[in-house]
Formats: sequence, structure tokens, C-alpha cells
Amino acid sequence: MSSSLLRLVAFFLSIVCWAGAGQAAAIVVVSSESSTSYVATVDALLSELERSGVPRADVVLRNASDLGGADIAEPTPPRLFIALGTEALKQVLGREVRAPVIAALIPRIGFERVTKEFGKKTPTSVTAVYLDQPLGRQLDLLRLAMPDAKRVGVLWGPESASLQPTLASVLQLRGLQEVGGQVGAGGALFSGLKAALDNADVLLALPDSYVYNSATVANILFATYRARVPVLAFSPSYVKAGALMSLHTTSVQVGVQTAAMVRSWLHSGILPPPLYPIDFSVTVNEHVARSLGLKLDGAALADRLHRLETLP
Amino acid sequence: MNFTAIRSRMLAAALLPVFLVVVASVGVFWAGRVDDLDAAHRQRAKLLVRQVAIASEYGLFSNNAASLQSVVNGVQHEPDVRAVAVFDASGTQLAGSGLPISAHFRGDDGSEYVAYQSRLGVDALVEKISASSVALDDLFETSKDAKAVSPVALGYAVVELSRDSLKARERSTFFIAAGVGLLGLLVGGFLAIRLGERVMQPILSVSRRLERIGQGDFSVRSDIRYQDPLHELQEGLNEMAIRLAWGREELEQRVADVTQELRVKMGEAESATLAKSRFLAAASHDLRQPTHALGLFIARLGQLPMDAQMRQLVASLDASVQAMQDLLDGLLDISRLDAGVVQVQMRPVSLGELLGTLRAALASVATEKGLRLRVRPTHLWALSDPVVLQRMVMNLANNALRYTERGSVHIACRPVDGGKNIRIDVSDSGIGISQEHQTEIFREFYQVGNPRRDRAYGLGLGLNIVERSARLLGHTVALRSSLGCGTRFSITLPLVAAPESLPPVVPVEVPVTVALKGLRVWVIEDDDFSREAIQELLESWGCNVCVASTAEQAYARMRHEPAPDVIVSDYRLGEGDSGLSAIACLRALAGRCIPACLMSGDTDAALMQAVKDAGLTLLHKPVRPAKLRSLVRHLVASAATAGIDPDAQLPP
Repeated sequence: MSSSLLRLVAFFLSIVCWAGAGQAAAIVVVSSESSTSYVATVDALLSELERSGVPRADVVLRNASDLGGADIAEPTPPRLFIALGTEALKQVLGREVRAPVIAALIPRIGFERVTKEFGKKTPTSVTAVYLDQPLGRQLDLLRLAMPDAKRVGVLWGPESASLQPTLASVLQLRGLQEVGGQVGAGGALFSGLKAALDNADVLLALPDSYVYNSATVANILFATYRARVPVLAFSPSYVKAGALMSLHTTSVQVGVQTAAMVRSWLHSGILPPPLYPIDFSVTVNEHVARSLGLKLDGAALADRLHRLETLP
Repeated sequence: MNFTAIRSRMLAAALLPVFLVVVASVGVFWAGRVDDLDAAHRQRAKLLVRQVAIASEYGLFSNNAASLQSVVNGVQHEPDVRAVAVFDASGTQLAGSGLPISAHFRGDDGSEYVAYQSRLGVDALVEKISASSVALDDLFETSKDAKAVSPVALGYAVVELSRDSLKARERSTFFIAAGVGLLGLLVGGFLAIRLGERVMQPILSVSRRLERIGQGDFSVRSDIRYQDPLHELQEGLNEMAIRLAWGREELEQRVADVTQELRVKMGEAESATLAKSRFLAAASHDLRQPTHALGLFIARLGQLPMDAQMRQLVASLDASVQAMQDLLDGLLDISRLDAGVVQVQMRPVSLGELLGTLRAALASVATEKGLRLRVRPTHLWALSDPVVLQRMVMNLANNALRYTERGSVHIACRPVDGGKNIRIDVSDSGIGISQEHQTEIFREFYQVGNPRRDRAYGLGLGLNIVERSARLLGHTVALRSSLGCGTRFSITLPLVAAPESLPPVVPVEVPVTVALKGLRVWVIEDDDFSREAIQELLESWGCNVCVASTAEQAYARMRHEPAPDVIVSDYRLGEGDSGLSAIACLRALAGRCIPACLMSGDTDAALMQAVKDAGLTLLHKPVRPAKLRSLVRHLVASAATAGIDPDAQLPP
């Protein structure tokens, strides 16, 4: 806690130094918020940059809300923007900057929506490290953890509906079957959930704030438990709330991958295309697993998944 | 002494605190218990509705009416539950049990419905059912608005609880409290009474003791216990009783002594009075005899021819004897009144006649003194004894004339007390009587302003006689006077209507003129002077007089001579004879009732009564010649008209 505070102080000090000295800032890191996850990501990013030779002074930390104000002038245009979170990306793109932008901590759907929104008026190049996992990786994990599960239940909400065709092809590749349930915007959740759970062996949770949020998660998980359908979630907090396991990339992993992308840009001057996270973690809820009669090891699963992905 | 009052007060003093404490503690206990029950009831209601809300969350989320119904049914089995229902967010009832939920519930927070049910005495509770929120530190949850939004209401849980069992429990609690209180009161009261009795007993014992002492029982109590809290008081009472007993004995002794002494003194006084009376009687008797003779002699002397100087002397002599005779008459009146021999004969009396007689008698006296005597004529009648009443009014009028130098004396009658009574007023314009003398003047020999006892002012017996007579008749005598403003004496007596036929009025003077000349009169008198005087007087009137000094002489004469027309006898004859028996004997010898009269100097009441009983007239010595003369005439006239009249009385 105290270290994060110190970091915050350092962050603000650096802003003051950068603004006061009029020094040409190389990289501006813009955070959507200053929650623990963001701070962890920034930490990992900074230390990784430092390790790869980027002086600490060249990195400026900004808050998305500060950036929104027009009063802070940029004496010298920054060379690179790193936007952490959807809000930060919106702010950065909204400033009509010329420097390239690397977005991180943003789901693919969110990234695509924002870039589409700002695409016309933004000449600069934008890339991203997605927060969510590639569907194939998730299905691979399913196959590793539950080889018998053939029917994959998916609850489609307004945000995630666009992934439906992609998922269908990925499922087909792996010989799995989709059991879909639709949730309309503001509609009753349960009927969709019931449809998805009725014939599914496992429920694949895809990020959609209309479907999965703090108010619904308890009842959804309770319903799956009653239906004895395990849930593969996209965030460790769902595991804490009662999902069987989650496949996710940690803040540090995001920070590290972002730093790698910066390095690549520094070396080549070209931004790589948006990428899913390379590194990931698997978290398992032992209690749920036990009650479902499963025996799973998160780390082992993650290892196996890594190995599967590194296979040619 | 009021033992019950002491006892009840003591009881109240002992019971009141017990009662207050018990009532207060029972009240506090009951109120606290009721509060507890109420709080528990409310708490339970809240728990029940929350239980329904929590248990219904998933049912609502999954729109599972069956599971909701089972939840509702489960709660319905709880005691006191009237109704249970679950509504969705739009206010549609999804499950319900028990009584139907009122239409006042419209799916909002239910405040209107709760108030409505509360008015009906039903506890209704509404709990919002919302999805339980799980905190997610989730980078995917990009929408800030979604995070900030308050948990959406899934629906409402409604529970209605009846207060009946609560009230029943409150009631039973009340009865328990009351029972406990009553028990407490009984036990406390019993103890209080026991303790009170312990305090009361010694007090009551002392009180009874004091009461007995008050009633005169000074007996000493020997059963005083040392445990008695009032032991010292009891001892003190014993001592007091002893002293009181001594004191009483001493007092009784002293009273007895004093009584004895008093008795002796009384005896002495009585004997002194007796001696006085005896002396007075003897003196008056012994005075009467010579005065009697003197009067008769002077009367005889007055009839003799003599020169002017001599006649003057005789007149003075006569006046002196007259005064002496007045005094003796007054004394005689008083002794008669004392003796009670005056027989009162109440009858209607014509006051007009009475006053007329008075005027005739007093007119000359008034004229002599230069006074105006005014008698107001009246036709009223009163109930009284005419003789005694006349003497009373005469005395008052005489007094008035005597003490008035100038002006007038006024005699009048007027009805008073609303015509029930009549008042005879004798007023004068004389010197008046001061306030301090007004009660004294009715005493014997009391005279105002006559320390030298001037004879012209009378003897001081008149008012005393008036007062005694009034007492005898039941009349009242009143006096109203002040110095220099005259005096008014009033006699108040009952007024009566005039009778139809006039009763015979006692004649003041017998209007029959009987010639005494040649009348044969026997005189029996042992006193030589008196005999001689009366003989001469009778002879001067032309009577044929025979005298006897003893009864025997008279008897002897009766045997040789014809019976006389009239017998005049002294009462006390020598040799133990009495005139009474002599007359009786002579009458017996003559064989007819010879008119007779007795003379006596005695004022003895027994004598007077005896004479009266014998139907004879008693002339008190000194006998006035005029009186004797009129009596003799009267006797002869009565005998001539109606034979012998034994009731004939001498007018006063």
C-alpha cells in the first residue's frame, strides 16, 4: 500500500518535472484509473522499460482525467503514448495526437469499438495488448481441463454478440458444440442462462458487462452450480465468487508485454499489430472443483497450455 | 379512646409502603416484560421478512414460482404469521400464502400499505429483494455507470403478523405480574399486620390502662413484662395510678370532712333560722297583743269628747299605732306567703273593676300628696286570683304614690304577646331607681334612699310581697326605670275573654248596713287589756257585750243565758284552750252555728291553716276597729241572709 502511494507521488512529481523543465518526454503513460491493477501494470511496465534502457525520466505518468483538461499544454509532443484502460485510450485519441499509441488493459471488443469511433480523425497508428484471451486458448484450456466436455454453453450479451461467428469457427476446429443463450439489453437474464445451461457441459463466460457484473454474478454462479455446470471465467474474481476456473493475464504480465511492445517500437520505429496477451495464468477454485468431482491444478494447466501454444 | 382508628392508621402506615413498593415493582416488571415481548415480536417479524427476502432472491432471479411458493409456505408455518407473499419488481404477486395481501400494497416500499395494516392492528413488513452484489475487481467491467448503479430490486417480500398471540402473552404476563403482586401484597400485608400488632399491643394496653384509670380504676398491674417496649411507661402508669388512688382517698376524706363541717354549719344555720322565726313569731305575737289593745283603746278614746289639743294628740297617737299595725300586717302577709296558706283561686278577673276599686281606695291619698292619679279604664279580663292580684297592684300603686313628689301615677292595662297576655303597668314620674338597685328592691326590708328608715317611705316589704305573690300566681313582675325618669312596674298575666255570666266578685265592702245596736256579742279573751278594750269598743258601737276570760266561763254562761248573735274569741285562751275549740263547743251547746270570728297575734302558718279549715275568719292582732266592725256586720248579715256562711272572708 505504502509503495503504491510512493509510486503515485513519484508519478505526480514526474508530471511536474516534465511540465516544468520543458524537456522532451519520450513516453507518456496514461492510466484510466489508479486502482491496484493499474498501479501493478504501471509498475511492471516501468521496471521493464528501465531494464531495457529507457531512462525513467523519459517516461511521464498521466491520469486520464487530467488529460481531459485543456489547461495542460504539451511543450514538446511526446514520442509515444501508452494508454492503460479504455478511458485512457479515449482521452489520448481524443487529443488528436500525432504520436503512436499502445493501448493495454483493454478487451479486444472495447479496443475495436474505440478505434472505430476515433478512426476517421486519428492519422496516427494505434496498437494494443488485449486484456481478454483468444477464444482458441480458452477452448484449449477447456479441453485440457475437461476432456469430456463437448457442449460449450455461451451466454451472449449485446457487447459479446459480435464474437459469435468467431467462436463458432473456433469450436468447430476443435470439434466442440455451442449451446448459446441470448441476453437482450435490459432483458431477463435467466431465460438465456437457462437455455445455455440446459444442455451444456461447461459454461464459457465471455466479457460482457450487460451479462456479467457484480449484481448478476452471484445468481449466475448459483444457477450454474445448481445445474452442475462448471464455469470458465475470464477473471480471477469470478473464481473467488464461485466459478470453477479462470484464464486470464495478470497486470504484471500485461505490463511486461506492453514494455516489450515499446521496446520493439523503439528498435524498429514500427508499431506491431494488436496482440492477445502472450502470457497468461489459470486460477482454479478448489472447492468448486471438488464439489463438481474434478481435480484440477491451475499452474499445471497453465503450463500445459503454454506448451500447447509453443508447439508448432 | 378510639382503638379502631389507631389500629387502622397503624395498619395503613404499615400497608401503604408495602402496597406502593409492590405496585411499583409489578408495574415496572410488567412494563419491561411487555416492552421485551414487543421488541422480540418486532425482531422476529423483521427476521421472518428478511428470511423470506433472502430465500426468495434466487427464486425471483430464476422466476421460479414453485420455489418461491415453498419458501412462502415454509414461513407461513411460523406462529403468528397471517400472510406471506412475494412480489416481483413490478408489483405482481408471484407467490402467496395465508390471507390475501391487501390491495394497498402496490409494489413500492409499501409504506402506505404498512400504515394501513397498522391501523387494522396487523404488523406488516415489506422487504425489498435485490440481487446480492459480489465485489469484482474486474478490469473488464469498463462501464463506470454499471458499477455505480444501485442494486436493482428483484421484488418484494411481504409478511403480515397478527398481534393476537403477542397480546395474549402480554395478558398472561399481566396476570402473572398481578398474581405475583397480590402474593407480595398478601405476604407483605401479613408481615406488616404482624409487626403493626406488635407495636400496637403495648400502645393499646397502655391506652386501655389509661381508660381504666380515667374510669377510676387505680388497680396496679403486676403483669408488666420486661420485654414490653413500653415497660417504663407501664411502670410510670402504675406509679401514677398509685398516686391517683392516694389523691382520691385523700380528696374523699377531705370532702367527707368538709361535708360534715357543712352539715354542722347548716344545722346551726337552720336552728338559727328557727330561732329567728320563733323569735319573730313570739315578738310579733307579744307585740300584737298590746298594740291590739292600744288600737282599740285609742279608737275608744277618739270617741270621747275632748278639746282640740287633745284631739290632735289622739290623732298622732292613732297614726303611730296605725304605722305599727301596718308593719305587723306586712310581716303577717309575708309569713302567710311563706307558710303557703294562701289558697290561690284562679278565675277570670275583670280588670276594669279591679282598677276602679283601686282608684276609689287611693284617690284620697293622691289628692293629699297633690299627685294626679290616672287610671285608664279597661274592659279586659285576666286569669288570676282577684284578691292576691288586687293586693299586688295596690302595693305597687302605694309605692308609686309614696315615692313620687310631683306629677302623676298612672295605672293602665294593655294586651301584649299578640293578645295572649295582658300587662298591668303602674308608672310614676318619681325619682326612679338606678340600675344597681333594680334587682335588690324586691328583697325584704330593702329600701332605696331611705337609710334612716323614714316611716313615710314605708317598710320595704311591699315589693317583696308583690314578688312572692307573682311567683305564687305564675305572673311575672318587671321593672323598668332609670334615675330621674320615673319607674314603671309591670305585671304580666294571661288574658282571657270576658265570661258570659259574671262570676261573683268578692265584695270589697259588704254593702249591707246592719245595725250593731243591741247586738249581743260575746267576747272571749284571756288578756285583760284586750278584753276590756274590745268590750268598750263594741259597747261604744251600741252592742250588748258579755265578756269571758276563759272558755269555761263562756260555757257556763251559755248554760244560763241565751246564745249570742256573734262570738268574738281570742285564739289562744288560757289553760291550754283554743278559741277554735271554744267556738265549736259553744256552737254545739247552742245547737246552732253561731257566727263567730277568731283573733290572734300568732302568725303561725299551722294555726292559720287550722282556722281556715274550720271555716272561721281569723282577725290578726292588732285588729283595726274598722275591720272588726265591718266583719261583725258582715257575719251578722251573712247569717241573716243565707244562714251561717262559713266561707266568709275578710276583705284585705
